Amino acid sequence: MGVEIVGPGRTTLVDAPRPLRPIRVAVIGLGKMGVAHTAVLATVPDVELVGLSDHHAPLGRSVRGLGHSAPFFDNPVKLIDRTKPEAVFICTQPDAHRSLAETALEAGAAVFVEKPLAQNLAEAEALAATVARHGKPAACGYNLAFVPIFAAAQHALRTGVLGNVQQARASMYLSQTFGPRKGWMYDPARSGGGVVTNVSSHLLFLLRWMVGMPVEVRATGSRFFGQVEDEVHVMMRLESGAEVGFESSWSVSGYPYSAVVIEFEGLNGKMLVSNDGLELDLALAQGDWPAGHSELREADLPQPARFDVNGESYYLQDAAFLHWATGGAEPPNTVAAALEVQRVIDAIYRSAGDNGATIVVKP
Amino acid sequence: MKRTPPVTPKLLLGAESLLGFTRAPRERLLQVVARFREPESLAVTFSKAIQLGADGVLASPSRVLGDALSELRHTVPVYALLPNVPEYVRDSAEHGLAGTAMKRVARAGLGARARLAWTGLTRAGGVLRSDFAALVPLLLELESAPFRPAEMRGVVLAAPITDLALSGKHRTFFETIVRFVRHRFRAAAAFQTHNLGHLLSAFAEWGVRPDFVVGPVNPRGLMMKPTPASVEAELARTEIPVLAKELRAGGAVPLVDGARYALEHGAKGLVPDLVDVEDLAVEFKELNRALNPTAATE
Repeated sequence: MGVEIVGPGRTTLVDAPRPLRPIRVAVIGLGKMGVAHTAVLATVPDVELVGLSDHHAPLGRSVRGLGHSAPFFDNPVKLIDRTKPEAVFICTQPDAHRSLAETALEAGAAVFVEKPLAQNLAEAEALAATVARHGKPAACGYNLAFVPIFAAAQHALRTGVLGNVQQARASMYLSQTFGPRKGWMYDPARSGGGVVTNVSSHLLFLLRWMVGMPVEVRATGSRFFGQVEDEVHVMMRLESGAEVGFESSWSVSGYPYSAVVIEFEGLNGKMLVSNDGLELDLALAQGDWPAGHSELREADLPQPARFDVNGESYYLQDAAFLHWATGGAEPPNTVAAALEVQRVIDAIYRSAGDNGATIVVKP
Repeated sequence: MKRTPPVTPKLLLGAESLLGFTRAPRERLLQVVARFREPESLAVTFSKAIQLGADGVLASPSRVLGDALSELRHTVPVYALLPNVPEYVRDSAEHGLAGTAMKRVARAGLGARARLAWTGLTRAGGVLRSDFAALVPLLLELESAPFRPAEMRGVVLAAPITDLALSGKHRTFFETIVRFVRHRFRAAAAFQTHNLGHLLSAFAEWGVRPDFVVGPVNPRGLMMKPTPASVEAELARTEIPVLAKELRAGGAVPLVDGARYALEHGAKGLVPDLVDVEDLAVEFKELNRALNPTAATE
């Protein structure tokens, strides 16, 4: 290689995880995310795709038409019963997550549930309780934890490079909704909400992972086109007293792909992290980071995924979950972590529904 | 009619960033999108690129591209990157894959619909089975409709579609697409991929020979899958011409350095994107020098 990339002092994402032994895996829900996971899983070593399921049979034909030869079932219960998977990826709309996860866990499988964990907090808590009862590995699809630049930022924050964070500002934008739209994502009973649930829950996961859980939130939201919120402004307070502001919209132009920006101010300096890279300004050298201004781009970091499906993160996320499911280390995006994100989402919706009142996040 | 093998392009100006898909910094993307919002500006850049030695442009169908091509008095050779995946993904979130396809059928002209019907009829069994190898030719018919036959020199299947079929190890799909594109469009049949090492290895094993492949090659190893070393090894052994993209590794290296690296490691051509190019005249001269080192020393 022409140029050296940075070493493990600046990131934890150095090598591609993999299952510790061969594992039988099934996928339920063959929409966009189900197809992406199927493609990734077909390329992870030691994975045997034993079955695919969707209630809509043509989607099954489409995935088999891509060359994936695993048996298809239009009934997920039959899939689990007949193929005996050791891990099940649940990629349906959120209101189906809980019952499918319970079925898979009852059958002894580890479960991966696409984000958000469920369409509301009660369902998410019930799902997490079932996971706890069975003691099986269970993860949720907050894949930004596996984007190298965000993993490097989290590593710097968690190793104290910035010192105690005093405040943070964050945003997540996507150009997606510019008029009334159809589909489960725009039906609050099925999806649980709008831009917060479907898009910026990813950002809430990142913030929780990087600086910890908020203890209270104040939020306002706007609905432009339908029954779910299209834009949100939130202030959150951490236990340390630090304030974290974030805003998100899926109704702004110029963001064909979702874009995250987070700025942190700590005792030792400032950090700006986005999909483009990481910039750090430190008063004094900290760990592997020198005093003054430093920059990291994606290309400066290891890119350990072995197959690219829309970037590094899907491969790394799925392989890390299967590593856990076969006895390896726990990844950051556990169901327990996703439940905490759901508690923040719930507090945001309650605050927005009460004209921005301060709401305590359920501990 | 015997097909004349198409000449493999060596230098294409990529316009994928106009769809918003790029690893370049967001600020740079916004600059490029703003600059080329007017079709005249894009038309002038295409025209200049051809004068400076580019063999054509690699671009997906879009309104701004169509307007730019119709601005030009002469034909710019187009290597059509199909389908326009971001648009397809956005539409399919609302209408589903079938609904999205129907939307395109509805807006296609009569000629395109007739060709679509013929292509569908000749693949009816596969279409009914939802076989990708039968469905994608229909998609190519629909998406190629905005291009004039005289300007279309090649069809390059976009990476998200290529890589889905690659994950399913769908050998027949790749054989079918190569045959279909050469026969139907009388044009070069090529694949874009973000998994270059995997794709070249699979093609070697299956004996599939497209006219060329477009994939990431750069000195940082960005997007070189499964590993940069294995991509370099496959580049060294493949007989399929590879055109390198992502030359600047997301803006981390100068374009000419990226190009030299790619060519030294077995790439046969280059696809710098609009976001990669700061000064077309200067950089394309350099790229031509790198592509034709003997000509440059004469």
